[in-house]
Amino acid sequence: MQDLISMPLVGFPIIASLIIMGTISNMSEEVREKLVNPIRWAVLIFSLVLLGLTTTMFYNFFGDLNGFEGIAFNTYEYHIRYNWVESLGIHWSVGLDALSFPMVWLTTLLLPVTIIATWNEKNGAFYHPLLLLMGGALIGVFVALDLFMFYVFWELTLIPMFFLILKWGGEDRKYAAQKFFIYTFTASVVMLLGLVTLYFLQNPLEPLAHSGTMTGRTFDISSIVSHAHQANMGGNWFLGASMQKIIFAMLMLGFLVKLPAVPFHTWLPDAHVQAPTGGSMLLAGVMLKMGAYGMFRLPIALFPHALEYFQLVLMAIGMVSLVWGSIVCLGQTNLKKMVAYSSVSHMGVICIGIATMQPMGWAAALFMMFAHGIISPHLFAVCGAFKHHYHSMEIGSMRGMAKHSPWLATSMMFAWMASLGLPLLAGFVAELMVLIALWHFLVAEGWSVLWMVGPALVLAVTAAYYLWSMQRTIFEGGDETQPPASMDGQPIPDIGNHEKLAMFVLAMFTILFGVMPWIALDMMNDWSIQIFEGLIMPILGNFNGGV
Amino acid sequence: MSEIIYVQPFDDNFTTALLPELILVAGLFALIIIPNLGKATFRVPGTQIRLPYFLGGERYSLISNPRLPSWIAVTTLLLAFVEVIMNFESGLQRYMIVSELLPTTINGATAGDILVNGGSHIVPGSSKELLLINDFSRLFEMIFFGAISLAAIASMNRLQSFDSSDKSTNALYNNRRQADFYILLLTAAMGMAIVALAQDLFVLFLGLELASFSSYVLVAFHKESKEGTEGGMKYFIVGSVASGVGLYGLSMLYLWAGTLQLGELSVAFDAAMAPQGFPALPLIALGFILVGFGFKVSAAPFHFAAPDAYAGASSPVAGILATASKAMGIIGLTRMLLIVASPESNDGSAIWLVALGILSVVTMTWGNIAALGSDNPKRMLAYSSVAHAGYMLAGLTAIGAWNWDPELAGHGGDAAIMVMTAILFHLVVLVCFKLGAFLVLSILESEGEVSKMSSLRGLSKREPLLAVSMFIFMISLAGVPPMSGFMSKLLMIMGIVKVSIGNMGDALSNGDILSIGDAHWVWWLALIMVLNSAISMFYYLRVIVTMYFHEPEGDRQGPLPIGWQVRTAIFACVVASVFFGINADGLIELCEMAANSLNYSWASQ
Repeated sequence: MQDLISMPLVGFPIIASLIIMGTISNMSEEVREKLVNPIRWAVLIFSLVLLGLTTTMFYNFFGDLNGFEGIAFNTYEYHIRYNWVESLGIHWSVGLDALSFPMVWLTTLLLPVTIIATWNEKNGAFYHPLLLLMGGALIGVFVALDLFMFYVFWELTLIPMFFLILKWGGEDRKYAAQKFFIYTFTASVVMLLGLVTLYFLQNPLEPLAHSGTMTGRTFDISSIVSHAHQANMGGNWFLGASMQKIIFAMLMLGFLVKLPAVPFHTWLPDAHVQAPTGGSMLLAGVMLKMGAYGMFRLPIALFPHALEYFQLVLMAIGMVSLVWGSIVCLGQTNLKKMVAYSSVSHMGVICIGIATMQPMGWAAALFMMFAHGIISPHLFAVCGAFKHHYHSMEIGSMRGMAKHSPWLATSMMFAWMASLGLPLLAGFVAELMVLIALWHFLVAEGWSVLWMVGPALVLAVTAAYYLWSMQRTIFEGGDETQPPASMDGQPIPDIGNHEKLAMFVLAMFTILFGVMPWIALDMMNDWSIQIFEGLIMPILGNFNGGV
Repeated sequence: MSEIIYVQPFDDNFTTALLPELILVAGLFALIIIPNLGKATFRVPGTQIRLPYFLGGERYSLISNPRLPSWIAVTTLLLAFVEVIMNFESGLQRYMIVSELLPTTINGATAGDILVNGGSHIVPGSSKELLLINDFSRLFEMIFFGAISLAAIASMNRLQSFDSSDKSTNALYNNRRQADFYILLLTAAMGMAIVALAQDLFVLFLGLELASFSSYVLVAFHKESKEGTEGGMKYFIVGSVASGVGLYGLSMLYLWAGTLQLGELSVAFDAAMAPQGFPALPLIALGFILVGFGFKVSAAPFHFAAPDAYAGASSPVAGILATASKAMGIIGLTRMLLIVASPESNDGSAIWLVALGILSVVTMTWGNIAALGSDNPKRMLAYSSVAHAGYMLAGLTAIGAWNWDPELAGHGGDAAIMVMTAILFHLVVLVCFKLGAFLVLSILESEGEVSKMSSLRGLSKREPLLAVSMFIFMISLAGVPPMSGFMSKLLMIMGIVKVSIGNMGDALSNGDILSIGDAHWVWWLALIMVLNSAISMFYYLRVIVTMYFHEPEGDRQGPLPIGWQVRTAIFACVVASVFFGINADGLIELCEMAANSLNYSWASQ
């Protein structure tokens, strides 16, 4: 089969950006200054080519039931495997399924959008290659079907983001960048130990294909998943009950910190507030989803028993994230910090979706990852525009922006509405599905449906903080506008054409996936049902009514 | 695997077996003689005939070049390095140098003698095994020669030299430090090579002392700075005390067993395991010897001299201490702990297991926490090297936890080889990124003192490529993929986990329910290790932040002095650091082969 992933989607972005950065790092400032524009264009065109490639893949499978829809559990499209380190059973193994493909497409969409949205920022020559490197590493995480390769790209994403925050961030960028790096690094080394323990505990009766010559074990995810599946199906817990729980917990620690869920979320507001607009857009848009993606890819697929065991813990973490995130939002005066905490709250929704253990809940979580990946970059683009044009992100410091900056006000209103879950926009679909799945869960568990009041109230709180912040920013002020003090009496500008274009694209996709969610939702639904029929129901029985 | 050929000193095969070492000896002689060559003549008394005798007098123009000693030393070291590599390439022939090899045809072998090489025999007890050339020792020689040649290349224009147009012998005195420095480097390499090959603890001690004394002087060689002399003095005093304690341990061991041969000691240790417990004397001796080698690997609490020595020495020398010298200590520990003192205690693990486990935890934690608080980049690297010693000690502990139950032996042997592979891999790649980091500091040092983190400020603006190199070294030290440091960390974790899990996989397949408590406690060492590597992230990141996001300050502006030699060495280190990270297979196989040859009983079980 043709290898459409390794080089085009992962290799070229990384190699190209390394070559560009290597070349320009030895040039003088003046020459570098001249090269900013050509590099910007080159990276933009390159990322558009990537988008074209993934969109073609999308199109090929749209309505084609032999594509991402209908493929059996643990099989992958474009699955290619090369040997990497034979002695340890490490492979370069890539493939796509309905879990990873939307994320890959989202990454390739956000790359050009991010570049366009920050087109007029004076970021120098290194900014765009770093974005490209980030994109390549992110795609690498999503397409990796080998534990080693997954971990390598998982850590590789930290480096460009670290530099993005550190180089172009706000006042406290050094603190934020190091906190971000160390926080997630700590969690992922624990995850690494979990992965290695898993690697040695999976003891196939006869060596699996793709095993290392030295160790007799394999890092290949699809082999491990099918082996785990066989073991689980035999009536036992794969690896035994106690070990399964421990390894599940170790892996989940890495993913929950990345997600981030309360109480591991404190790196996120710092990183977001200090990050430059482009960094925030990719961070919120795709990087957070790595956590949710990893949960689906590894612990859930390998350890359904442990998932059932920890179901309520996960539910509690999701609920707390949801509630805590939105309550903290109410108190924020910094626009970007508020948006960051709203991300925490939305990630709580994903957590709840997973914890319901319903096909619909999982499909909803997948769609939430996707929808939030389109909406949150829009939110951060708006925040970035405020920072860029008004040099301030204090919510109370400006009034009546609608009068002078109608475009920005419109964009902000749209993004805010999308994020609070307005019907016919993408976020609504996901939230509604999660609530339905939660309802099913409560009914199946025999719990009082009154528990629904919590998340429902939180949605009201979400609406409250979004509307309140809009009211204080773009509306209030009557005929008078109050420009932020940071403007020093300068005329109040509106957003430029590039920002308009980027926000327009994001808005269009928000509407598209809100009105016609099935474009992406069908394959996610299908994937969830496949994994439930293939994995959960045979092992755990007709679980929770299995709606 | 090919048979071991036994060789008597200066007999058949001797030169073939010891070619890299003999190259070093030749280089040493060349280094002493060549700079002295000149047009000196000797007038035969009573005549007008002048006979040239070449030593002294007006020197030849080529020889009066002050850089000549460095070129001789670098060539010698590189030749030895290449020779070792070519040994590996062409399939390694293993040799054992024994003190006495008797041809069977002349005086016939009696019962109990060991027939070797088809026609000879050795008499156990009277002919001593001196040096063993196999994959394991050759791999270590590769590390030593590689590290020292990199340091030699980097030092080429570190030492002040005087005008080369002066061809008199006086100019040689003025430039004598050039020759001294490289002679010391070569003797250090010789000593380390002997340690790698030694099969007798006394030979090992001789090599150790040769290398140690060379390194004491090398540390103090940086006499332009006050810290140089101070560091050298501290290093000398603490080091000689450690050697003395180690030597005392050796003497007690001799008192107990009557031999210092590794093989015979190993037999004695195995035999000493009585039902009522192990005799105290060899244990005390073992403890003393641990102190000696613990100083060499800079394990806490024997590491106190290390930060001062590293900070005082010139950076390439500090790099040697952190890589080659540490590898030498690891050989000593390996030979002592794994070959000699490996009888099991009551729970089926080695007798020294708990002691070494505690030592490793203390070492890695202490190193990392101390590194957090140090503002001197060289001290920081010194503490990080203490932490790395802790990781390797954790690996050695894991080998000791090898479950000696014969039913599980297969798993134990595999796991032991895996951990040993990880340690060897770590030592090899450590040369790339640890020495590389010191070499970057070395370039900075040629501009002025590097005793504050602030001297790294704005390196990315001044020297972008150097900053990128340092960045790669730092994330490699921290173990971030896809660098080689990550690969070594992964291998180490994998080895420890494999040891601790042992045959749990089999039990799981049988449906037994096991918990993490059923794994051997060395599993927790792996956890402490990964948490420690997360702590270490703080100070490595601080270097990166300082290089990239602080403006250059004071008179440290603009590009650094050019030194293409040291830059070449750094480039080699960068390439190796990245290459062994993304294409580790070849090196892993090499290390596995070497680990196999350390103890054939592991492989055969």
